[in-house]
Amino acid sequence: MSSPLRRLTRCAVLTALALALSVAEGLVPLTILFPLPGLRLGLANLVTTYALCRLSGREALLILVSRCLLGALLGGNLMALAFSLTGGLLALAVMAALVRCPFLSLFGVSIAGAAAHNTGQILAAMVVLLSRAPLVYLPPLLLCSLVTGAVTGAASTLLVHRVPFFADIKS
Amino acid sequence: MRSPAADRRRPTLWDGLLALLVAAAAAALFFFLRPAESNFLTASIVLDGETIGTYDLTGLTEPVTLTVDQADYPLTIRLEPGRVCIGESACPSQDCVHTGWISRAGEQIICLPNRLVISLTGGQQEFDAVTG
Amino acid sequence: MKHRISSLLLTGIFFLCAGCGAPAASGAAEPASLQFFSMDTVMSITAYGEQGQAGVQAAREAVNRLDGLLSRTDPDSQISRLNAHAGDGTAVEVEPDVAELLSFAQSVSQLLPGDFDITIAPVMDAWGFTTEERHVPTEQALSAALALVDSSQLEVDEAASTARLLQAGMEVDLGAVAKGFAAGEAEEALREAGVERATIDLGGNVTVIGTRPDGDPWRVAVKDPRNTDGYLCILELEDVTLSTSGGYERYFEEDGVRYHHIIDPKTGYPADSGLLSVTVVTANHVLADALSTALFVAGPEEALDFWRSRDDFELVLCTDDSRIIVTQGLEDAFQLYDQDGGYTYEIARR
Repeated sequence: MSSPLRRLTRCAVLTALALALSVAEGLVPLTILFPLPGLRLGLANLVTTYALCRLSGREALLILVSRCLLGALLGGNLMALAFSLTGGLLALAVMAALVRCPFLSLFGVSIAGAAAHNTGQILAAMVVLLSRAPLVYLPPLLLCSLVTGAVTGAASTLLVHRVPFFADIKS
Repeated sequence: MRSPAADRRRPTLWDGLLALLVAAAAAALFFFLRPAESNFLTASIVLDGETIGTYDLTGLTEPVTLTVDQADYPLTIRLEPGRVCIGESACPSQDCVHTGWISRAGEQIICLPNRLVISLTGGQQEFDAVTG
Repeated sequence: MKHRISSLLLTGIFFLCAGCGAPAASGAAEPASLQFFSMDTVMSITAYGEQGQAGVQAAREAVNRLDGLLSRTDPDSQISRLNAHAGDGTAVEVEPDVAELLSFAQSVSQLLPGDFDITIAPVMDAWGFTTEERHVPTEQALSAALALVDSSQLEVDEAASTARLLQAGMEVDLGAVAKGFAAGEAEEALREAGVERATIDLGGNVTVIGTRPDGDPWRVAVKDPRNTDGYLCILELEDVTLSTSGGYERYFEEDGVRYHHIIDPKTGYPADSGLLSVTVVTANHVLADALSTALFVAGPEEALDFWRSRDDFELVLCTDDSRIIVTQGLEDAFQLYDQDGGYTYEIARR
């Protein structure tokens, strides 16, 4: 396979995976357990972490944006796009910076990513509602991100080590 | 792409520190939001059905004395951070002066002879009405 | 360059979303609120729900009608006409509900003899509590006024809707029941307008209708008679009226002595019964108003005895030895406001 084509395929598969994960997550919402607006496990973030570690920042961005746009098309909700995109982009930026940090593991990176995602969501909600009110949800969301970040961190550690080089998987 | 984080299998001490940092941010934000929500207190002064002034008592930094000359019995209102009272009144009954300081949302000072009402409103109200 | 264009595009989409989201985010309906002066006090009515605005207006009209009927300072009111004809044998025509109110007030005088009398007006005048020029009356003036206090000399004919005062100089003042009566009329007006949740505050006489908009009971604070910026307790209640009597706000001082406005009909002097305040909680508005005054004069023991003899009201008593006595029906609704307020509280049981 030629390099650009391989790249495209790689991204397409990962986008599809991310989309599937976020849809699957939506089927079992955490908010039933714990009624906090905006609370979710953030499984799609696994793909972002993987792409950051095994591919490149550019590809991670591409996958993220495509996933968010497709997710909005599937769900038919433009509002959700604003939230997921702001949260996702902020998480990506933070994780891209931290993944190079020599002291951290993927646990720390994922926790920071989850916290950044929640912060982005709340910022988006504040802009959308033109109000400071959503800010009150941020402290509990940040605390939850410690747990969800640790869970996705553990999962992404497994993922990155078990599926070491995406490029090596051949037909 | 070189990524030291991706090579580790176990969390490091620095991960713990980062988690602590997030928790600290949550706590700091929580306390930063708290007082702004609950202590916000506004005094509105209504003379004979007409609002003659609204004052943000939370934002007040030093005492203010207000003289209401247009009332039938002139009176002075003392505003302090978080509370208000009628200092002096020329009215015969002095009931409004007896009421003393009020400092909670939902409270009122009434000067009947002047048909004047000072009422406090704010973010968090401990009760819906006051009897007595 | 490519990056910049795509980020611009994203920002555009974002604000598009923001634009369509804003109107949907407007808050829940505000309650209708009205504050006005009537019956020598300030009245505040707050009603929730769609009929709120119509409800508060109807309630205001109902209260203002009563003010015109019951006021003693308005020479055209039915009470003023009744007083003007005292001793001349004329049976004065009154509205049926005014006749009913007069005979109810008389019945309270019979239930608690010496503690309550709506013909106390001459004594109130002697003290200047009606004219706002307050002073201690001379012994002579006081005994002359006290001789005119006797509600058995008031004849009420409910069937004919008439009333008459038998002795010249006698005067009726409905101050101790008028606010309760008005609260009842206001509640009826609100309910007729379709309001299901509301609070009515007629100068400290509080009526709560239904529950709070969030479904919780209303929280009503009872003032601390010793500390004007404090509270004795908070009561969580639905569909009741609360009336509080105390001598801590309407008073004057002369030669260093404090004289409050609740006069003991037996002595002609401000009541000194060991109570600082009495709060009556019941579904019957007029009963609440009348009993808070009568039991304040009666004192703690008689008040609790009277409570034990009936089952249609509950009490919060604050005594001058810093006790808060709460009757058992309020046990679950009662919350002490300030643990360090200097009061001990006890539950009175039947």
